[in-house]
Amino acid sequence: MATARNRSAPPTRRAVIVAGARTPFVRAFGDFIAMSTIDLGATAVRGLLRKTDLPWAEIDAVFWSGVILPSSTVNVGREIVLELGLPPTIEANTVTRACTSSVLSTTNAVAAIERGEVDVVIAGGSDSTSNAELKMPQTLMRKAAPVFMSKKATAADYFKLLGKLDLRADLIPERPAVRERATGELMGESCEKMAEMNGITREAQDRLAVQSHHRAAAAAAAGRFVDEIVPVETKAGKRVLADNLVRADVTEAQMARLKPVFKRGGTLTAGNSSALTDGAAAVLLMSEEKARALGYTPLAFVRSWSYGAVDPFDQLLIGPAFTMPLAVERAGLTLDEIDLVDIHEAFAAQVLSVLKALGSAEFGKQRLGLEGAFGRIAPESINVHGGSVALGHPFAATGARMLTTMANELHQTKARHALLGLCAAGGLSAAVVLEKA
Amino acid sequence: MGDYLVDLGANPHFRQVVKTLGLPLPLLQKLARAKGPWAERELVGKPVVVGGVGEARLTGVLSEALAAAGAAPHVAGGTAAFEAYQAHGEAWGTPPRAINLATWPDSLVPHAMVFDATGLKKTEQLKSAYEFFHAGIKRLRPCGRLLILADNPEETKNPATAAARRALEGLMRAMGREVGRRGATSNLIYVAAKAKPRVAPFVRFLLSRRAAFVSGQPLFVDSAVKPAPTPIYRRPLEGRVALVTGSARGIGEAIARAFAREGAKVIVMDRPAESEAAARLAAELNGELLSADITDPDAPAALAGTIKAKFGKLDIVVHNAGVTRDKMLGNMDEARWDMVLDVNLIRLIAVNEALVPLMPDGARIVALSSIAGIAGNMGQTNYATSKAGVIGYVRALAEKLADRGITVNALAPGFIETRMTAAIPLGTREAGRRLANLSQGGLPQDIAEVATFLCSPGAVGMTGRVLRVCGGSFLGA
Repeated sequence: MATARNRSAPPTRRAVIVAGARTPFVRAFGDFIAMSTIDLGATAVRGLLRKTDLPWAEIDAVFWSGVILPSSTVNVGREIVLELGLPPTIEANTVTRACTSSVLSTTNAVAAIERGEVDVVIAGGSDSTSNAELKMPQTLMRKAAPVFMSKKATAADYFKLLGKLDLRADLIPERPAVRERATGELMGESCEKMAEMNGITREAQDRLAVQSHHRAAAAAAAGRFVDEIVPVETKAGKRVLADNLVRADVTEAQMARLKPVFKRGGTLTAGNSSALTDGAAAVLLMSEEKARALGYTPLAFVRSWSYGAVDPFDQLLIGPAFTMPLAVERAGLTLDEIDLVDIHEAFAAQVLSVLKALGSAEFGKQRLGLEGAFGRIAPESINVHGGSVALGHPFAATGARMLTTMANELHQTKARHALLGLCAAGGLSAAVVLEKA
Repeated sequence: MGDYLVDLGANPHFRQVVKTLGLPLPLLQKLARAKGPWAERELVGKPVVVGGVGEARLTGVLSEALAAAGAAPHVAGGTAAFEAYQAHGEAWGTPPRAINLATWPDSLVPHAMVFDATGLKKTEQLKSAYEFFHAGIKRLRPCGRLLILADNPEETKNPATAAARRALEGLMRAMGREVGRRGATSNLIYVAAKAKPRVAPFVRFLLSRRAAFVSGQPLFVDSAVKPAPTPIYRRPLEGRVALVTGSARGIGEAIARAFAREGAKVIVMDRPAESEAAARLAAELNGELLSADITDPDAPAALAGTIKAKFGKLDIVVHNAGVTRDKMLGNMDEARWDMVLDVNLIRLIAVNEALVPLMPDGARIVALSSIAGIAGNMGQTNYATSKAGVIGYVRALAEKLADRGITVNALAPGFIETRMTAAIPLGTREAGRRLANLSQGGLPQDIAEVATFLCSPGAVGMTGRVLRVCGGSFLGA
């Protein structure tokens, strides 16, 4: 494991999370189908600006992120600035790091603020799974481009081209899928293997999934998300006010009836996996001084973070079991001092695998170089307001969603520290420790 | 240079025809060889059946080695062993399964069977080795692996215990004959009392596809060389400067390529007559070209001087340059004798003496011997003499350099498909190929993989030995 690089002293300038906002998370190919990732991102940022009444002139930069990036306009952050008519002098970038993307854009913003480069940054991420670009086979380009791009091409050349094209090989678009390039496996297939390796039962997965739905529903019913969710008016004129994947009344018995989707006899179902989702989330970060000068109440500091990667041929989504302990160590804390744990639920099986590894003395000793287990974390104690299985998972928006919810939770309760963990495609992972401001 | 029987054996139509007609033709198994560089988890997902006898002292290291390499362990035997596999499985995501040898599950077709005989005290206990391998040997995958771990017979004062330990070698060799036709190998590691922590890299290597042509061999792992560095399983030769003599083509070229692939800076050295091929290879490997004729009396000093000036050190040397001048002894002229002895032994030693002062602690020396040097080949008195001399040289030199962390070993290829063996008359060539467990010749890459392993940090447990890479040849075994 990577050795901890403890900060010898806290930075003199500290960045704070001031607010967060997101669109409702909506099942892909549903109400948001006509909205691009730029539209969704702009909606979330507009909502954040309205909610905070932030003077536009104060914004230094937009640090955005995405996973399914539109190939013609990859820098979605910059497009959001222009789309919203914000001052064109606002700098913008867009990073991508699979499902941890908006954690990266946020920590990049924190680092830039704490280095003194900027004072006010909007960070976040958006993804429209509905608008994943269909990719025509590359063979079509290779055959057609010489004709189309040539000024000398004659009608005969076009006819010849028609003869060369193969309907199946050249003209049927490739189906987009959440498939690892290196291993060729669907993410769910990799997670099935993890469930098997770690002995995660179907029942335990379903229990966590039901917990996620019930908690998300309870939080929504109690108005806990009112402050976080921005209503969206779709192009079709429909007002979308709330997440639409949460099932308040789902039971374990109902979950148990679902069929495995990734493997015959497997344990992963549509119910205990996160669904393809459209949405965007944004976080407003400032230097602490600036926040106080502008009259905002800081919610939380980003106390530490860690990024890591594991061999995708191993346990693809086990990464948080490495990065979460590292982030806690870098924060100079122990697990006892962590009050809230929020883990991205790509699959219930993946969360339970991570918790199992964290609670294992052997894993702690052999893989983390600790004296024993990092610590037992009961599945019931995590994700107090539900997770991605219930709320949905618009890839790049999930990190900013978690950061917002945890920052608010620290502000509203007595909790002092929150630990966030996210796994991602490619064997990547990220973890963050937030501290009440 | 190809082996037609292996190619035919790999052809499904041919296999079908032979089987249908019941032709008396051997269907050879094409060996599964590793592609690409060393990987952290070389055995990922491969089922490995492990068993043992008595109080095995290697359970801990074996279970960790298998878990870290990603293997799926199937544990036959006691609960104590199972718990060790469980503990490491928990850490590495390789949960063990308990199996009962008497009711071998149909679905279990193992990649390897590993028997830990370090608890073996009495000859009666050999029965448990029979029971273990008897249960699974017919289920082994093509190109599978059989491996026995045992205590060194020379380390006990009890004659009966020594007998039991030595008996395992016979079992291992005979099993190798039985499974060879299916491309599978059988080997044994004798682990010295204090060498327990050094055994893992050997287990991982022998179970991997990189040891495709190593069969029927007892390996001795000891603690003679000090200190032991941490094994490296990815780019094990990163940052090393390696000299491979005679590396313009053939086995030397394969070794140079494998070294470069694992991160070494390779000095490609060959005679001036080969300088075009050598230069091309050196450029391709981003290495260094050294054109020198080692029969030149000034060569050793010049070589050492150039290397010192360019790199300041030499971490690895592989003495691969060699010649044959075959003739029956009665007909052999003096020139043939002198030439072979000079290149293969006298100059090898001279070059090595000049290079050793450049070698830092932890360096590696490998000298190419041959099974001809062990068994003696008709018409090769000169060659056999020189290659047997190499064995004596490494043995004594190893003792001298052990305190500097340097290992010195000989590597004895069997029949390898090269330009040299392609020149052998057909009848002799066929005999050479088929007189081995695997019934086929090896490839230069097989030697290269073993040389790479011997030069890796993890191979510190072996020094002063001869490792045969012969596919389990009958010659001299």
